Amino acid sequence: MTILCVRFQLPPKYEAALPGLLGLLEDFTPVVQALPPDGALADLRGAERYFGRGAEELARLIRVRALALYGIDCAIGAGPGPLLARMALGRAEPGEPCAVPEDLVVDFLAERPVAALPGVGTATARTLCEYGLDTLGRVAAAPLSTLQRLVGARTGRELHEKANGIDRGRVVPNAVSRSLAAEHPFAHDELNPDRHRRALLATAEELGSRLRALDTVCRTLTLTVRYADRSSTTRTRTLPEPTAHSPELTRTAYGMYAALGLQRARVRAIALRAEGLTPAEEAAHQLAFDPTDDKLRRIEEVADRARAKFGPRAIVPGTLAA
Amino acid sequence: MPGFTHLHTASGFSLRYGASHPERLAERASERGMDALALTDRDTLAGAVRFAKACAAAGVRPLFGAELAVGAPEPSARQARRRAPVRGGAFVDESTPRVTFLAREGAKGWAELCGIVSASHAGSDEGGIRSAGAAGGRGAAAGRGEGPPLLPWAECAGDGLTVLLGPASDVGRALAAGRPDRAAKLLGPWRERFGDALRLEAVWHGRQGTGPGSLRLAARTVGFAAEQRIRPVLSNAVRYADPGMGPVADVLDAARRLVPVDPRGELDSGEAWLKDAGAMLAAAERIVEAAGYRRDTACRLLEQTRATAAECLVDPEDDLGLGTVHFPEPHLVGAGRRTAQRVLASRAAAGMLRLGYDTRRDYWERVHQELDVIAHHGFASYFLTVAQVVDDVRRMGIRVAARGSGAGSLVNHLLGIAHADPVEHGLLMERFLSKRRVVLPDIDIDVESARRLEVYRAIIGRFGAERVATVAMPETYRVRHAVRDVGAALSMDPADVDRIAKSFPHIRARDARAALEELPELRKLAGEKERYGRLWDLVESLDALPRGVAMHPCGVLLSDSSLLARTPVMPTSGEGFPMSQFDKDDVEDLGLLKLDVLGVRMQSAMAHAVAEVERATGERVDLDALDFERGAGDPATYRLIRSAETLGCFQIESPGQRDLVGRLQPSTFHDLVVDISLFRPGPVAADMVRPFIAARHGRAPVRYPHPDLEAPLRETYGVVVFHEQVIDIVHLMTGCGRDEADRVRRGLSDPESQGRIRVWFAQHAAAKGYDAETIARTWEIVEAFGSYGFCKAHAVAFAVPTYQSAWLKTHHPAAFYAGLLTHDPGMYPKRLLLADARRRGVPILPVDVNRSAATHRIELVSESRESEGSSPEGPAPEGSAPKGPEALSPAGPGPAGPGSVAPGAAGTGGPVRWGLRLALSDVHGISEAEAARIAAGRPYASLLDFWERARPSRPLAQRLARVGALDAFGANRRDLQLHLTELHRGARGMGGGGGQLPLSGGRGTASAGLPDLSPAERLSAELGVLSMDVSRNLMDDHRAFLDELGVVSARRLREARHGETVLVAGAKAATQTPPIRSGKRVVFTTLDDGTGLVDLAFFDDSHEACAHTVFHSWLLLVRGVVQRRGPRSLSVVGSAAWNLAELVELRREGGLDAVAPRLAEPVPTSGGDPTHGRRIQLPTGYEMHPWADLRPAGEEPSKVRKLWHQSPGSAG
Repeated sequence: MTILCVRFQLPPKYEAALPGLLGLLEDFTPVVQALPPDGALADLRGAERYFGRGAEELARLIRVRALALYGIDCAIGAGPGPLLARMALGRAEPGEPCAVPEDLVVDFLAERPVAALPGVGTATARTLCEYGLDTLGRVAAAPLSTLQRLVGARTGRELHEKANGIDRGRVVPNAVSRSLAAEHPFAHDELNPDRHRRALLATAEELGSRLRALDTVCRTLTLTVRYADRSSTTRTRTLPEPTAHSPELTRTAYGMYAALGLQRARVRAIALRAEGLTPAEEAAHQLAFDPTDDKLRRIEEVADRARAKFGPRAIVPGTLAA
Repeated sequence: MPGFTHLHTASGFSLRYGASHPERLAERASERGMDALALTDRDTLAGAVRFAKACAAAGVRPLFGAELAVGAPEPSARQARRRAPVRGGAFVDESTPRVTFLAREGAKGWAELCGIVSASHAGSDEGGIRSAGAAGGRGAAAGRGEGPPLLPWAECAGDGLTVLLGPASDVGRALAAGRPDRAAKLLGPWRERFGDALRLEAVWHGRQGTGPGSLRLAARTVGFAAEQRIRPVLSNAVRYADPGMGPVADVLDAARRLVPVDPRGELDSGEAWLKDAGAMLAAAERIVEAAGYRRDTACRLLEQTRATAAECLVDPEDDLGLGTVHFPEPHLVGAGRRTAQRVLASRAAAGMLRLGYDTRRDYWERVHQELDVIAHHGFASYFLTVAQVVDDVRRMGIRVAARGSGAGSLVNHLLGIAHADPVEHGLLMERFLSKRRVVLPDIDIDVESARRLEVYRAIIGRFGAERVATVAMPETYRVRHAVRDVGAALSMDPADVDRIAKSFPHIRARDARAALEELPELRKLAGEKERYGRLWDLVESLDALPRGVAMHPCGVLLSDSSLLARTPVMPTSGEGFPMSQFDKDDVEDLGLLKLDVLGVRMQSAMAHAVAEVERATGERVDLDALDFERGAGDPATYRLIRSAETLGCFQIESPGQRDLVGRLQPSTFHDLVVDISLFRPGPVAADMVRPFIAARHGRAPVRYPHPDLEAPLRETYGVVVFHEQVIDIVHLMTGCGRDEADRVRRGLSDPESQGRIRVWFAQHAAAKGYDAETIARTWEIVEAFGSYGFCKAHAVAFAVPTYQSAWLKTHHPAAFYAGLLTHDPGMYPKRLLLADARRRGVPILPVDVNRSAATHRIELVSESRESEGSSPEGPAPEGSAPKGPEALSPAGPGPAGPGSVAPGAAGTGGPVRWGLRLALSDVHGISEAEAARIAAGRPYASLLDFWERARPSRPLAQRLARVGALDAFGANRRDLQLHLTELHRGARGMGGGGGQLPLSGGRGTASAGLPDLSPAERLSAELGVLSMDVSRNLMDDHRAFLDELGVVSARRLREARHGETVLVAGAKAATQTPPIRSGKRVVFTTLDDGTGLVDLAFFDDSHEACAHTVFHSWLLLVRGVVQRRGPRSLSVVGSAAWNLAELVELRREGGLDAVAPRLAEPVPTSGGDPTHGRRIQLPTGYEMHPWADLRPAGEEPSKVRKLWHQSPGSAG
């Protein structure tokens, strides 16, 4: 009953508020782990004794403070370990924290579907359901060797432990590892590659400027293309060096897009996500003898300042101006 | 001003390109003062016949042509491979240049046109008729194999053709690209081949730039033509008849290219309509001015166009061959030296001797009469041709039967074409062919559906590919496809489009909005109608446009060797049969002889049943030798028929027929003939059924309008049922002869001629001395029934398989069901047949890889193993018995295991009982090859043995495991699935997670500790994999809930009183809205609840409340009132309906308290007739509800593969 999992109800593209909210949690305990884009884990082991309140009461306190300070509501789950706290969050609503007491862990898990377990993705869940292991109770009852044959040795072991309520995870304080996302929707089914590339340019520019506003750089970039039938394709690429430089992001995004070779696909939205964010000052940058790159970066800096002063549309790439 | 002739016009037969029907184009051309119009469809001549007829009606001279994609003279090596898209597929390639060809010189031009159209299609299939000849010059197509039609350059020739090189041709494209030099180079080969017949086509659609339709390209074309000394012509590249149809063209383009309409991209100009002469003159003036000439040069351009049109002279009668008949050459049908007529006469005489009629004077007279008529028309080769085909089919061991009016001819009977003796049954030759009948007679033959293609191959083999072609059947847009294509073009949400399309019944696209207004089940959709904006307009404008072409299921053209000069032919996809592009009506107009070879599934089913009986018992059953046409027949069979439990029997299995059979109580073959004739839209509409039944059971006296008419009417108790009777009545009353009487009968369906016939009838009958009252009464009968009775020859032909199937059901039920399930002939889903089998006490044996074959089989089940005759579980398969090594001996040659009792054992174990072993072919997604491989490798000793020798795909093996087909190998079904996955992984060389295979000594399969399928999951798996609930009826699971509700089971319903209000429930089997006499729309549906069938009727006052639920749910709970019309006739008139699946779910989650509010929801009541009395007038004078007689909305019950809910744990 000592770990909280908090999910803030952030408005879209407002992840810049997360650090502040994490700070709020840190008023209670120093052991806070960010779960980007909108959540956090907090270990209240010390806080319970310090504040003289139980986890559930503290949860209410956190919600009130978040509302008062930032006007942001949150849902909170509580449990003996991070895993259970996360699963409890799945049951929680704003204002109604869900807590899993230590002695009821097995019962709590038994009825939950396998897909609710963190770390069980759609593929694993599908495999398990195919074999009738649709609830965690059934997973717990299945022999370990069978699980390992189903999903592999390591995943099987972890699954077996988790399903039996053995939570080996702990809260690791990490303030910054987060991600940022930007999405460009289309009003119609869009097939035109030129317009796709313009959308990519716009989102990459947006991501870049938001990253730079946070003084962070990203390590990887993920492209998600959503189609009319609500399916999507995702591609991830690691950048040569962590960066927030828009042309660099754009080039990577173009590369991923070209690799898809889309022709008749009915694209409804293009989304980019920057992941593996680290502080900009920790990032290394390979200097070159070519002055162009340097110039571009200096122009970007100036443009950022102009945008900060006159709004985000003050300076945009020529293709997007039309 | 003289008119203008459009030389380049696409109709709707240019699939997903043209937006107007040829009839509309001809009409508009006439309205706009044009004297001639060309039809140049893309890749097809399919519209030519309709166009010719429409032109004749509109007073316009037709020109024929086609627009074809033409391969380059020297194929370019440029093949830039694009990356394969990860999603959505590649663009449709439309890059080949297209050229318009017009037939110029009469029959020769037409033959050449047919030739190049056929050649352009030949490359698109390997098995095409001409692929061998075309292979050399196929050019770019050779690399593609399959692909859009493409005319190879080598075949692109013809002395009788005029060629228009327009903006889409290679020359036009070079000009658009600003490369007159390249255009000149490309023009060389064309000029060389077509010389003076070459034209350059200028088109102006008011577009900007230099692309197709732009003024600059048109001007460049005219200038280039002058420079190259080639005559230019002006055209408008017409795609639609009227202005304002641009958006429709956009939708068609989108549907063809499989992309959405891009509102910011290049849309259709809206100019490609059938412009009148003035507009075209204005266009010509703009073009010549832009080309730098004086304005009056425009007249020269128009003059060239006119001259080109004037040269193209193809006469529909003389050159297309409308109205002439071509039979295969006599030497092909066994008349080498003698004339066909002589051969026919001698064969008929031989038939007389063979069948033992040679002593019967009346037979001889009839034969001579018939031969006279045949000689009069010169149809002898036709009869010989059909006889030849039937002989060939019979020699192949395929069941064959003649149907249709051809059965009325004694000559047909003597030649062996028709089975029934026409004299015995009183069938008339005049109904089929007479001196006064000018239309081609038609003889239809029924063959086994499973072997229909074999028959086609035999016909092609007999007469040669140059004389035989199948007939095309255009698939046209109806509302559902139109909604789908327009929705996709308008970028609507696919889920929305799917929902809208599925909510409509199968109606015409143009009725979409009217249906929304008037149909109660569409009320909800109508509410959100406005949200979809242009959708409805566009949907309605696609109405009846062809969207694809398929092979007609039965028509085969037989002609002389000139066939390919008269019809364009394309290979069918798949089989590669030559297929004429004309449909069955066109073919008749063209005078091509069409033989209907129908594949009848029931024939296949019966053949399978007979083969099964012989395989399993060695007993040979000859259905054709059953003597039932005369005399009493088999009493047990008629008992079955009278019990109305005729599910699966040919023609008498529908709810209406079961009801009729129950009331009519047939006891002889003739009763069956009458029964089949009565159950037709006409007799039902004319209410001939009630008086007939009353008279038959002696409740009403038999009356004749005049004693003279007793002879023809005696057999049907004074009620007119057959065409033959009307012919006889007219003949008797007026003395006009039967051939004239048949003509009169045909005239009756036309209200105009009816008046004339009435006067004529009264005059002649009075002259014969009948009094006015008799004449009036007789006329009443003739008028009411004349046009809509049923041809007795048809009915006799139908009744034969009806009796045969009922006989099989009575005496060999297991084999009968095996045949039915294998060939699926009926209207009901297979699971219903299975339920019927279970009810009739046929043990159902589940799929088992060691026992099942590719088809359904019968298997001996010893009586001792059967505890209860109709145990729903069926006999336990050996899978549940304890496994010993002796059970599955791999060395054993035959099917092993304790369940298989050798035929000899039957003597010791009481009466023999045959069970139905389900087939592998019903497993979802199994291929024929896989089924055959599994069946051939039996028996299998272990899972590993099965996996290695049968080599099933992984999904297939998993499905087999889920339905218990692998239970014999030990372990539970989920464990088996895991082992299969590992075997699969091992096969891919990746090494399984568990390392080694958990097989103990290669026999049983070890358990992996996974939970087995629960009973509900098993049922769900059976439905999902086999579409049948094998282990028990799916309604059994709800029995407790239904008892709570007080639902009456089908069995108990038989005792219900007339007028009692009851609740019934079950799985929906079939839903229909047939036309009925009252002109109302009645929804008939049948529910199956495991104990029997419940037939339901919903009248229009309940549609508001029920229609949507009835059409769109699978499990139904219905409140209704019992209706009884006879001892065996019972139905329930529904007043409220609920989706049972939903209620079951509510009961499971919230108990009865959750169910109650759902039942308490107010039932919407009908607000009067939404059609405001609109009715369709039938030719019989009866009215039909505008939305009756359609295939209703909702999923076909036979396609339902899911249980009412899919719990997260259920497999798959």
